[in-house]
Amino acid sequence: MMLTDIQFAAMSPLLLVSATIVVVMLAIACKRHHQGNATLSVIGLNLALIACGAMIYVAQPAMTVTPLLVVDGYALFYMALILVATLATATLSHAYLEGFKGEKEEMYLLLCLSALGGLTLACAQHFASLFIGLELLSIPLYAMIAYPVKSRRPLEGGLKYLVLSAVASAFLLFGIALIYSQVGSLSFADVGGYFAAGGSRIGMLGGALLLIGLGFKLSLVPFHLWTPDVYEGAPAPVASYLATASKTAVFAVLMRYFVEAGGYYQASLVQVLSWLAFASIVVGNLLAVRQNNVKRMLAYSSIAHFGYCMVALIAGGPLAVEAVGAYLLTYVVTSLGAFGVVTLSSSPMGERDADVIYDYRGLFWRRPYLASILTAMLLSLAGIPLTAGFIGKFYVITTGVDAHLWWLLGAVVVGSAIGLYYYLRLMISLFLLDPSKHRFSAPLDWAQRTGGIMTLLAMLLMLALGIFPQPFIHLLQVSTLIPAG
Amino acid sequence: MTFFFYLAAAIAIAATLLVITGRNPVHALLNLVVSLLAVAGMFFMLGAPFAGALEIIVYAGAIMVLFVFVVMMLNLGTATTDQERRWLTPKTWFAPAVLAGLLLAGLLDVLLGGPLHAAGLAEIDARQVGVHLFGPYLLAVELGSMLLLAALVAAYHLGRHD
Repeated sequence: MMLTDIQFAAMSPLLLVSATIVVVMLAIACKRHHQGNATLSVIGLNLALIACGAMIYVAQPAMTVTPLLVVDGYALFYMALILVATLATATLSHAYLEGFKGEKEEMYLLLCLSALGGLTLACAQHFASLFIGLELLSIPLYAMIAYPVKSRRPLEGGLKYLVLSAVASAFLLFGIALIYSQVGSLSFADVGGYFAAGGSRIGMLGGALLLIGLGFKLSLVPFHLWTPDVYEGAPAPVASYLATASKTAVFAVLMRYFVEAGGYYQASLVQVLSWLAFASIVVGNLLAVRQNNVKRMLAYSSIAHFGYCMVALIAGGPLAVEAVGAYLLTYVVTSLGAFGVVTLSSSPMGERDADVIYDYRGLFWRRPYLASILTAMLLSLAGIPLTAGFIGKFYVITTGVDAHLWWLLGAVVVGSAIGLYYYLRLMISLFLLDPSKHRFSAPLDWAQRTGGIMTLLAMLLMLALGIFPQPFIHLLQVSTLIPAG
Repeated sequence: MTFFFYLAAAIAIAATLLVITGRNPVHALLNLVVSLLAVAGMFFMLGAPFAGALEIIVYAGAIMVLFVFVVMMLNLGTATTDQERRWLTPKTWFAPAVLAGLLLAGLLDVLLGGPLHAAGLAEIDARQVGVHLFGPYLLAVELGSMLLLAALVAAYHLGRHD
């Protein structure tokens, strides 16, 4: 198989990340140096991001690289989003791991490997690349969640994720096998043609098993039980990666499966999916209200947010891809900021993370800027106008109204109202005066560190998205998908 | 031939059930070997002798032996020999042996000239597998190497004692 220069150029983000993995691994083998190895990985990821940006800028035409991958505007947008989330996680990990007693450098290697899996998913147009991408995304995550091996909770979280993720992969593989038995091909285009022509009951069963596997990774409601425990156990930067890059990559491939591989033709599965979205919104929000742990609260709120995002996917129609892109973009930027503040408050890593609401009591009076960033991010998660979250919700509701999904829209509205309650509860505790001594307080120089700069940038980007979304909307419009058939 | 395919499938399911209900890891692994052999038999029936041979050499052979070694090493102790004797009761090896015997009987039946099934007529040999792996699936091979690296780094980090 000969690949042409243009194909290599189109694959450059993947190749650059792969090269980064090899270089970082060799650098670790030569000499362990936390700062140096972190810088190397960040440089490599930045180069990949620049390559993505350049290709989006010159409006690179869609390029098929072997039957497995396609690099089009859609793939480039999601690759850029995943790389941004990975870069943010890398900078946060740097601040966080300073206090870690064991070997710190593997985190960056695992992070780049996982990001490569995410990039593969963004480009996947074949079930083989879907599966390999998903595994490459998940396997480094087992070790990242359980990174502080000596502690009980991270280890427990890692083990839970490992076992349940393996079960989900088994469902996914069985689904793919059933679809293959009917279609005789693994490429999305052929499968799309098959389902467009009517499909069959076994093909439908395969589609259902596939959705179970992907629904687990997105933690939609009946498959969400692992989420709060894993988020709580995982080190704060890893939790931010799980909530952003990992879920974005899976949603990107799910959207492509729906548009190109005929997911929309399986009407009864779309119906089931709308129940899942409804349940995710209601259960996610209701359980988030009861949490006193910030990481658990953000976990439940991410379940609800992916319920909202699913509404845009279910609605279908011409605006769906753009709406999902807008929602994921705003969600990723906002979540990175929120988890960033949690990470910076917990850094350098101690016995436990600053994850109880009580730890944040009076944060405003100790670290006013950090508390302001968290406030802005929580407002955006709640979807208040002039923040990014509002633009995302606006898109979701627009597509929902177009598709007349009234009861799902009702759930979105009620869910947002409940969401406002628990986001405001955390926000109020930031401003309460509290005379007692505090264990958790971000270091005074946090703003000069890379992690601090990252959260500031996330907040500025979030406000830019909310106040002047036009350039981002233009970006989303060039990164849409054309339905097959 | 169709009969042997379904026989192998039934044996694979029965053996796998014994794996997950087994309380002793070594006994479970023994059943897993039978299950993998049955799956290999199905590959042979489908005209993919290369995939079948790989299944036996790599899974039932190399990986399982590694598993058994590790499990045995973890159990090393003073009472090992005694334990070994207790393990070798007919109760433990009877079920895997019967299932493996059934597989052998089915295989002999096919080899001695059973009726052919259309699925087994087109043979997929090593050459065709290689052409596909280094043709359209080239990137899958490359990504597979990254997957192994990820697993290696993860295992190194989690398994380290210091």
